[in-house]
Amino acid sequence: MNPRRRLTRPTRWPVVAVALAAALAFSACAGDDPGDAVGQPGFDDCAENPNTCNSGERDDGGSITWLVVSKPTGWNAYSPEGGSVYTLQMLHGIYPHTGMFAPDRETYLFNMDLFAAEPELLSEDPQSWQYVLRDEAVWDDGTPISADDFVVSWKLGTSPEQGHCDGCRSRATAPYDRVESIEGSADGKTVTVTMKEGEYDPEWFGFLNVDSIAGGLMPAHVAEQNGFDVDDPVQLGGYFEWLQANMPTFSGGPYRIVEGDFENQVIKEPNENWYGEIDPTLETYIIRVIDDQGAWVPALANDEIHGGAPIQLNEDVVSGIRELPNVYSHIHPGPSWEHIDFNIDVPAFQDVELRRAIFTAIDVDDIASRNFGEMFPDYTLRTNHVFSADSPYHVDHVTETGQGSGDTEAALAILENAGYELDGTTLTLDGEQVGPFRLRATADQARVTSMELIQSYLAEVGIEIIIETTDDLGGMLGEQDYDIAQFGWSGSPLFVGTAAQQWMTGSGSNFGNYSNPEVDRLVTQELTATTQDEAAEIANQAMEVLVQDAYVLPMYDSPVFIFASDGYVNVRDNTGESVRGVYNNHEWGTAVQ
Amino acid sequence: MVVYAARRLLAAIPVLLAASVFCFVLIDISGDPLADLRFLEPPPEPEVIAAEEARLYLDRSMPERYLLWMTGIGGNGDIGLLQGRFGPSVRGPGFDIADEIAARFLVTLRLVVIALLLAIGLAVISGVISAVRQYSAVDYTLTFVGFLALAMPAFWIGALIKEGGVWSNQQFGTGFATIGAASADTREYDAWQLFTDTAAHLILPTLALMLTAYAALSRYQRASMLEVLNSDYVRLARAKGLRNRIVVRRHALRTALIPLATVSALLVAGTIDGAILIERVFQWRGLGDFFLDSVSRNDSYSVMGWLMLSGIIVIAANLVADLLYAVLDPRIRYG
Repeated sequence: MNPRRRLTRPTRWPVVAVALAAALAFSACAGDDPGDAVGQPGFDDCAENPNTCNSGERDDGGSITWLVVSKPTGWNAYSPEGGSVYTLQMLHGIYPHTGMFAPDRETYLFNMDLFAAEPELLSEDPQSWQYVLRDEAVWDDGTPISADDFVVSWKLGTSPEQGHCDGCRSRATAPYDRVESIEGSADGKTVTVTMKEGEYDPEWFGFLNVDSIAGGLMPAHVAEQNGFDVDDPVQLGGYFEWLQANMPTFSGGPYRIVEGDFENQVIKEPNENWYGEIDPTLETYIIRVIDDQGAWVPALANDEIHGGAPIQLNEDVVSGIRELPNVYSHIHPGPSWEHIDFNIDVPAFQDVELRRAIFTAIDVDDIASRNFGEMFPDYTLRTNHVFSADSPYHVDHVTETGQGSGDTEAALAILENAGYELDGTTLTLDGEQVGPFRLRATADQARVTSMELIQSYLAEVGIEIIIETTDDLGGMLGEQDYDIAQFGWSGSPLFVGTAAQQWMTGSGSNFGNYSNPEVDRLVTQELTATTQDEAAEIANQAMEVLVQDAYVLPMYDSPVFIFASDGYVNVRDNTGESVRGVYNNHEWGTAVQ
Repeated sequence: MVVYAARRLLAAIPVLLAASVFCFVLIDISGDPLADLRFLEPPPEPEVIAAEEARLYLDRSMPERYLLWMTGIGGNGDIGLLQGRFGPSVRGPGFDIADEIAARFLVTLRLVVIALLLAIGLAVISGVISAVRQYSAVDYTLTFVGFLALAMPAFWIGALIKEGGVWSNQQFGTGFATIGAASADTREYDAWQLFTDTAAHLILPTLALMLTAYAALSRYQRASMLEVLNSDYVRLARAKGLRNRIVVRRHALRTALIPLATVSALLVAGTIDGAILIERVFQWRGLGDFFLDSVSRNDSYSVMGWLMLSGIIVIAANLVADLLYAVLDPRIRYG
């Protein structure tokens, strides 16, 4: 054949068609320009400057509607039914609080709008600290914020056995039961908190902060105005229920609620008696409940909402939002992290070598990549059971052990050394098949993908995994109705007590019934640490033991996202607090055009 | 007929009873109502969990809880259907299930009534046209539209209509709303603005709900109209020289509406239940949203309250349909 044979008309067009088809195929397979796919100008530098990104000059006036993704079920965040992050988000800006973490999850900011000076520790034994309130700090009706509010807020959170409140139903009482007294000066502006003998809280600065049980201070004077004597335990219990039943129209923060319900929305307006440094410029600030993910994008496109910070990362929603013009969005590691736990009561899992081998065979990076790699290539793997990678206390306990590496050869070596044999494709011990094991998690897409991948990894070491999803994670864990489970924990920069909660023998959140006397000793010691540094050091020691016991395999920080119309400034996420994007709602404003 | 109606109502009681037992068991075994509470951070003390279990009667066995729900005997005064109390909710002691159902029923009714009126009106018109012009292009077109609406799932229709509404707003400046029964802030609205705002929020979900009902009704009306048009008395009317319009409107249509009237009564019940998906898509806080919320929270007593109302509506609708048939068709008599 003559290589120089000219293409004749019959053969030319098919070649052109093939070339075009190839070009189309390549263009479809090619990745998007990262500048288009990941983030948009408003949140561009949030990874480097989480505390100041999307800053700008505010114009006066305007209104914003912010999304909350689930209905709160009560106005009183102390109560079991009202105690959700959605209640806190809805009410943030109403209650004065003592402080919060900044978006960098490291810097703790005392509320200097409320305090004349930074709170200070007075003594360590008994532990006591002091707040000095600004004279300007008042509730919206002009009543000064005082020690009385601290006392009422404390008592409302105590258990009935303490004798302060008969009828209070606080969902968590330990932080308050440990307090011996709260006293105020004659003018009520100096508040002294004293812990009980033998009690010590290295995270005392978080008392009554934004993430506390109620999200801040409750007003004592409102109780009196409504006929409740706060010194009478029974009447204080009545006030507890009054707070639950009544929408708060009072305020000690930058906003006050003027109308609303927790089924649809609450409407807030600036508090005219706001005493803080930065005044809200928005005329109205609406929190709207939309609990169907499919409704977010059309509502955003239709200008019915202007922003939100959902906890669930849904690829369709993210894609839809990214396609909208004039909307900023940003994906970043969230406060929750995924992990895999064993049920130690399963006889096979009494063998630590089997547990280590299973964890070694699981490729955590692959799972994270498959789940989030396209949407969020900067996902972070979790290598510490308490501290996220950006925490100053973070120590990588996991990588050097090989757990989570997906190294099948190493896993098989561990098993072989422990006396296991691979009989064809089935792992055996003394001739008996090891497994099969039930791997359980909720049915959301990321976890289903994860379970399927784990099933494939463990098949390579001869272990059969049966996947069973659940609609009732709490029930499943509570009843230990699993062999291996995947679920998430919500992390916080306030960590003291987390280790005890999750790993101490018999602890309520130690679902897999793990027990190690050394860990018990260390986590108990952590509870009595006098500083966060000391507590972190002890927690890391406990984790060293925990990792060797291969009870929990940390996987990754679950990414979350935030979105906001580009017509607003100073809107940014704060995964250091459960209120997330609304943490600085009084600083929001319409952008100067 | 009164005897017949009474007999039907009495027969409905064991049906409702059986349905209530079935649903109670299903909801009870489907999950832990306190799962969200157990997973709160920080985790609640065991005493808090125990107090909630006592409040919700979760410390009793399932049969005991069912009897408690039904009779209220042994309760704390907040439970007992026969005493008019629906029981405590996981949403707190202040949450009154009966009040909530009543309020949401009105929201759903608003949506359903308008949707059904539109659906019936359009179904009659299109059914008659289809029948009168059988096998014409118009007939094929209307048939196609009917089957299309019948084939598409309600939530998908809702989502499509929502997208269409947003597109229309962007292209033509129309004011369709996609979420809720009203705008978030209507405090400054005058009467006209309130009316237009309500309409703007009503149009899209009504359209979505209407399409599903219209599809079935139009097929019924077409079939019924065809049967009547081919009957002897209509043929006689034509033979007498009456104009086609008079024959269709005065003689045929009246008879052809009888099956539609009875089907419509049944459809009321079906549409109230069917509004579940539409309310979720459009974020209306009606009975459907209440039901989904209650199921997701494993709130047994709330679900049972919804079931009782839904069951009564279905039974009443069936009874009305049967009685209506006897009223409209003198050949029918019930003993």
